[in-house]
Formats: sequence, structure tokens, C-alpha cells
Amino acid sequence: MEELFAPPAYEWRRLSPKYRSMRILTSLIVTPVLFTIPALIVGVASGEWWVAGLIWAVAAVIVIIRLVFVPRNWRSWGYVEREDDLYITHGVMFRNLIAVPYGRMQLVEVESGPLERAYGLASVTLKTASPETGARIPGLTPEEATRLRDRLTELGEAHASGL
Amino acid sequence: MTGPQPPQRTSPADPEVSTTPEPPAATAAPLKQTERPHPLTPFVRGWLVFVAIAIGWGRELITGASENQFEGRGLTWILPVLGIVVVLAAVTGFVAWYFTRFVIDDEELRVETGAIFKKSTKIPFERLQSVDIIQPLAARMFGLAELRLDAGNSTTKLRYLSRAKASRLRDYLLARAHGQQASIRDLDQQSAASVFTDLGESDQRLVQVTPQRLIVSFLLSTEWLIPAAISIIIVVVTASLGVVPLALGGLIPLVIGMLSLIWRRVIGMFNFTLAESPRGLRITRGLTNLTSQSVPINRVQGVKTSQPLLWRLLGWYRVDIDILGYAHGDGEGNESTASSVLLPVADPDEVELALGRVLPGFDLDSIELSPSPNRARWLRWFDFWTLRYGWNDRTLITEQGWFTHEREIVPHAKTQSVRVQQGPLQRLLRLADVHIHTPRGPVNAVAHQLDEHAARELALSQLDRARVARVAERERRSVAAVPNDDREGEARLLTAFGTGRDQLLGSGGESEVFAIDHDRVLRLYRSRHEAPQGTSAQLRTLYDSWRGIDIGIELPLIIDGGERDGCIYTVDRRFSGRSFSSWLQHADVAQRRPALVSFLDATEQLQRLPSPVPGFARLIGEGAPQQFGTLSELLATMLEGPLQTSRTRLEHDVPGIVAVWNRLHGDLAERSITPALVHGDVCPPNAYISQGPLGPVVTGIGDFSPHTINADPLLDLAGALIFLELEPYADADADAGWLEAVAVERHGREIARWIDVYRRYYGFYFSNAYAFDPILYAWCLRQLSR
Repeated sequence: MEELFAPPAYEWRRLSPKYRSMRILTSLIVTPVLFTIPALIVGVASGEWWVAGLIWAVAAVIVIIRLVFVPRNWRSWGYVEREDDLYITHGVMFRNLIAVPYGRMQLVEVESGPLERAYGLASVTLKTASPETGARIPGLTPEEATRLRDRLTELGEAHASGL
Repeated sequence: MTGPQPPQRTSPADPEVSTTPEPPAATAAPLKQTERPHPLTPFVRGWLVFVAIAIGWGRELITGASENQFEGRGLTWILPVLGIVVVLAAVTGFVAWYFTRFVIDDEELRVETGAIFKKSTKIPFERLQSVDIIQPLAARMFGLAELRLDAGNSTTKLRYLSRAKASRLRDYLLARAHGQQASIRDLDQQSAASVFTDLGESDQRLVQVTPQRLIVSFLLSTEWLIPAAISIIIVVVTASLGVVPLALGGLIPLVIGMLSLIWRRVIGMFNFTLAESPRGLRITRGLTNLTSQSVPINRVQGVKTSQPLLWRLLGWYRVDIDILGYAHGDGEGNESTASSVLLPVADPDEVELALGRVLPGFDLDSIELSPSPNRARWLRWFDFWTLRYGWNDRTLITEQGWFTHEREIVPHAKTQSVRVQQGPLQRLLRLADVHIHTPRGPVNAVAHQLDEHAARELALSQLDRARVARVAERERRSVAAVPNDDREGEARLLTAFGTGRDQLLGSGGESEVFAIDHDRVLRLYRSRHEAPQGTSAQLRTLYDSWRGIDIGIELPLIIDGGERDGCIYTVDRRFSGRSFSSWLQHADVAQRRPALVSFLDATEQLQRLPSPVPGFARLIGEGAPQQFGTLSELLATMLEGPLQTSRTRLEHDVPGIVAVWNRLHGDLAERSITPALVHGDVCPPNAYISQGPLGPVVTGIGDFSPHTINADPLLDLAGALIFLELEPYADADADAGWLEAVAVERHGREIARWIDVYRRYYGFYFSNAYAFDPILYAWCLRQLSR
């Protein structure tokens, strides 16, 4: 099964463990906050606090499910630079293997949002002429992101071909 | 888009099209006479604004009528406001017209616009991608047309010009865009195009959609029938309940949607004509607004044919194309924008004709389509039997859909990226989808619900095919970039020998072969090939030295050769048989097996040919003949060239390649034989087969080359067996195994070991194929990892 999404004759490079920590933190914060607001409103407005409790219970279940899935999702990510193309894999339930030939890259973007910066992370996105490509690698260390960007740019120039 | 596209260009602004705002003083080119568009332009533009406002207000009045009780008062103040707006529009139109100037002459194409912020756009002719003529109804009534220039990512509009002038300029610009040295004065005398179809005399009509067919196809199309059926149901139901007004809320948007569909699909596509002009394909269409659009074939990224359910009765199809850069308008084909519709409705013959133009050399029948496995029915119960995919050497095809059957065709060279996807249910069923990404547009090729291993195989092999196709395209471009003289020289040479491109028998990496007559062929060396003159002279001497030697098979002979019109050529004797490789593909196993034995016999005869030098030696190529003390030294030298390019590749792809290399040399050092002539590349494409008294037999082996050496004759025997695996017919592997057993039976068990050794030798020898032949390279990798 695993070999279906493996790169041919290469080892995947994995994401930084800090990405997992970040995802766990967001899971712990975002869902409870999102559910607490309606729970409070319902509780205060109706006085039926058991309904609010029910909402919190749902939130707790979601958080637990996410905590189970985040490490698996983190493990599912991988990328590898081959001679002619970049392979990316991700997904636990819906699994993906994306291959982008360097000759088709038009643009390489490095992004880092405030939370990612706090964790010392960045993501690299490859753009081709096709909007469906969707080749994004999150959770890289800034050094790795910069290295990857420079490397991809260099390879892209070497392989560049017209459309 | 032509030319390499460096990545990391962060904005799509094309550096080729300079749109720099300049101070007014600098824009005035003192010597050149600039022109303004047609003086009627402001009136037409003002009129358009008036119509737009009238329609907008009209809609407001009608829909708001029931609530608005002060209609009378409303109208009285609307009229003067309307007047002011029209005057303002006319003034704006006048100012815009007054400050628009353009130059189109033999040197440049420049458009200057703007009253306060001046903008000067200069477009290099060769950057022009397409030149379209658009005639909105208002402009058409005045005999005016808009010229739309599309270059890279920017579109420049020139409105309005007189129709005759617009079409003259279009012809001129397209000629220049194709790199022809036309002069604008030459085109002044051309006859104007027809008012209704915008086709000139030099245009040849390929497909014309008759109004009857357009309307029937529209009425039968799913996208029309569904809203029509829903509206009828709503009306009937509400009428029977007596509550019709209640339904209006739902009915009105539905009817508006249907009207807009009629507008796009019938009015916009009316009189749709696909024509071929000397400058490529051209589409003209439209009842009220006439649009004439050129189709830049090199920018076609994919093709989609679709067939709604009811069209199947009539065998009709619709054809859409992805054109790079077109989709950022609305791809649907609004009346005034470039559209992605190649044919709104067409019968199979017309579809084939059109596909032949946009994808030259495309042949649907040559592509074998594989269905998705039957277990796909659990996920796609509604259309699992329609899911298919397949490919040939140039394009990939996917098919899907029962309600509307769609077929997507993507040339390998246009593949952007590939994705394999598998959801949880698919995982249970061991299925996966493969997405072939193409630039934005209607084409969206997805091979649905393949067996997961087939999916992976398809995705990975598609990357290889795409890479090879890209390399080939790049080469074709560089060949096309060769000055015209060279190609003319080639054409002159072909004519001089009474042959032509249509007589091409075959082509390889070094040369192309054309039939002259029954006895002779013309071999044209590619000028890029290193020192072909030396190679062909060496081969000629070699072949001459074999004259009069009969080994029971036909051998090549060079009758004449030389250099002419900048091309290096030889005239060779033509083999009496046909290509063994193409014969194998269609022969059945009962015929194949005896023919293969005769192929083995013929190969064994080659070692009887005398070598010009004794001992282990390279016979053809730079510095040849070159002698060596041992087999191992000779073969190491033979491998130097290919390994120079493929070494790093192999180090990546084959774990423990160094051990393989050392083992090969260890083995070769153990081999002790008397050197004999070795062809070096005995394979079915180099062999010829004729009908003998007892059935087809191999009667000739040709194409000696720089692979030819004086070494171990077992090299050729091994080659004949193992290169068979590369033949593109289904049982090639089985035949190769069978033939190997025959050889082992003839020569004893120990040759099996040497065949294995030479598998590794050939694996190294042809490994530089990674750059141009992924199938051969994959074969090499298999040999090296045995």
C-alpha cells in the first residue's frame, strides 16, 4: 500500500517536527474558541447550560480526533527533489502524490505567516501555468525553505521550456 | 508562449510589451506619421453607452414597475439625466478617440493612448499571439471594427477602424507575427472580406455550422433541456394549483438564465465558421456582433470533445480547446471576447478535420483505450463503464461521463504536472485517480478510478513522456530556427533525387532515410550530428570491402555520397524486405517464431564478415580504426562516451552502480575469444524481412554505425535476443525469453552467463538514452539492476 505513494528509488524528506507542534497548538486553541462562543451565547440567552455543555462536548471530541490525526498528517507529508521533477505527497484520508517537472515551474514562493514565524517555519509553493497543480510544502525550517527555493529556481532555469 | 520562461518572475507583466507611461514630450515621434482611429468612433462609443443605460434602466423600470407608483414622475427626471449621461459619454468618447494614435508600419507597431496619463505601448511583431477583429452591432452598422491585439498577457484594443482597414492590418500583422517580411504597402490592394463572415478570398472554409444544426443542437443540449423542463414543471404545477404568481420568483431568474444561454449559444455562435487562412486557423461567428478570432495553434494546450446524451442520436460533438492566456476572459465565449469554442456542434468527420488542424498528426484510432476496472462501479455506479484512458507517443486521452460524454486530449508536451489521488473508499477498492494538469481552460483531464498500480504507472510514465515531448519540442524549435536556407537546401536536395518528405522511410538519431526508387534510398545526415562526413566515408569503405562476400543475407551498400546544398547525404542500396520491427507488430505467434529463428541465423552470420583491422578494435567513428589489446579495454572505451553524460544519472537511479560496473569488468576480463565483426546494434528496426518459400524470413541487416566493432561475436547474439524486449508489441518479452532458450540450446548453457554480462554492458552503453528515450533508459536500468 505504502509503495503506491512512494517516490521511485528515493527517500522522502519530511517536515520539521515544529510543524506538528504548531498544528497541535492550533487544534487546541481554534476549535475550543470557535465552539465556546456559541456555547456561551446559548447558555446565557436561554439559561439551558446543558446545551452549552453538549456543544463543549462536541468540541472536545473534535479536538481529540484532531490530536489523533495531526501527527499522522504530519507524518504523511513528504517531498523529494529528483533530477527532473519535484514529488510531494500528503494526506491521511485523501492521499495525494504530486509531481511537478522543473521545466514547468513558473514561480516559487516562500511564505511565512505570523504563527509560522513564531514557530520558525515557512512554506514553499510551486506555481505552474496550471492552477490545479497545488504544489505547496508547509512546515519547513526557513533555511530549508530558502535552500529549496534557490535550488528549485536554479533547476527551473536549467530545465525551462516554453509552453 | 515561446522561449524559456524563467521562474520567479513575480508578476505577469511582460517585459516584452513595454507599457511605460511617458511624459507627453517624449511620446511625440517627430518623424513618423501617426494615425487616429476612425472619426466615427466617438459616436459609436457614445451610442453604446446610451444603449447600455437604456437597457439597464429599462430592466429597472420593468422589474420595479409593480412597486413603483410614481412611474410618471420617474420618467420626467430620467430623460434629462439620460441626455446628460449620453453627452458625457460622447465627450469622453471624443477625448479618448482624439488622444488615441497608432502607428503600424514596416518598422513597428505602437499604440498611444490617454489624455492626461499618456501611455505608449509598443509591441514587437513576433510577440503577437493573435489578432482578432470584433464588430459589435453598433460599430457594424457604421462599417467599423475593433482590432484586438493579443501579446503575451496583455491585450491592446484599437477601436474603431473601418472594416477594410482592420482586416488589412490584421493580415499584415499576422504575416509579421509569423516572421514573414511583408510590407504594409503590398497589402493595400487586397480585396476586402465579406461583410457577413469576414472571410477573404484566400481563406478556405473547413467547417461551417448551419443555423438549422445550431438551433437543433441547442434545443437538444442538456444545459438547455434541464432549465426548460424545470420551468415547464413549475408552470404546470402552479397552474394546476392556481398559484402561478407565486412561481414567478423562481421562474424569472430561470428565464433570464435561459435567455442568456440563447444569447451565448445561438446568437453568439450564429454562422460559426472555422476557416483556414494562409496565417492559420480563423473562427468567425455571431449574428449581431461579428467576432473574427485567430487560433494560435502553438498555444493550444488541450482539446475536449463533449457529447450530451441526446446528441448521441445524431452523432454530434462539441469541441473546446485550452488556449494559453485566453481563459482569463470568460472562457464561455461571450459575444465580444475570444472564446475557447473550436466547434459548437459538428459531426465526426468535421471533428476529425478540426482535430487534425489543432493537433497535427493526431490519430484517435491509434490510441488504445483501457477501461477502469469493474470494481469502479461501487463508486461511479452512474457512469463507471464510460471511464477510459490511453495514450500514444504524442497525446494522452481520458474519457468519462454518460449524461454528457467527454473526451479530453492533452499533448504530452503540454502536461504541467501530475497528481495521483486516493480517498478512503478508493483505498478499500484499490483504486486511484490521476489528474493531468493543464493550464486554465475547459480541458481538465482526469483518469478516474484506475487500479492503483496502473494509476501510479500512468502518472510516472506520463512525466517521462512529457519530458521527452518537451525536449523534442525544444529541438523542433531549434530546427525551425535554422535559417530558411538550410531547409531550402534540404528540400532542393530531396527534389534533385526525385524524392520528398512524403517518401520518408525512417529516421534515427543520426540520419533520415527517404525512398528514391525500388533499388535506392537517400540517407540524409542531420547536420547536428558530429562529423557525419567521416562516418559515412568509413562506412562506405567498410561496405565496399564486403562486396562479393556472400553470407546469405543482404548487407548495406553505399552507392554515392557527398555534400550538397549544405546537407551531407549518401545514396544507399535499398533492402528488398520490409522493416522487421513493423512486421513483428502485426504478425501472429505462429509466423513470428520461425521468423525470429531466421533473425538469429542472420545475426550469427555477421561474424563471418571480415574486419578491416585485426584484433579488438573500434571500426567507425572519430579516430577509428583504433586497436586494443583486450576485450575489456575496448569495451571500456566504448562505454566512455555514453557514461560521460549518464554517469550522475545512473548513480542516482541504480543503487550500488559501482559494484555493477566492477563486476562487469571482472567478468569481461575472464572472457577469452577470438575477435570477430560485431554490428553492435542488431535489433528488429535494423533488420529486414521478406517472404521466403517457407514463410517470412529475415533477409537483411543494415545500419552499421559507430557501434560497430571487432570484438566478441556473442555481443550481437545477446543484442538480438535482448533488444527484442524493446519492441512495442504485446508478446515481445515472451518472444525474447523463447529466443534466448533457442540460443542456449544451440550454443550451450555457458552462453547464458555471457548474455547476462552483455545485458549489463548494453545497459551502460545505451544509458545516455535518459535524455531522449525513457523506454530505452528504463530498459537499461532493468539490465543494470538484474
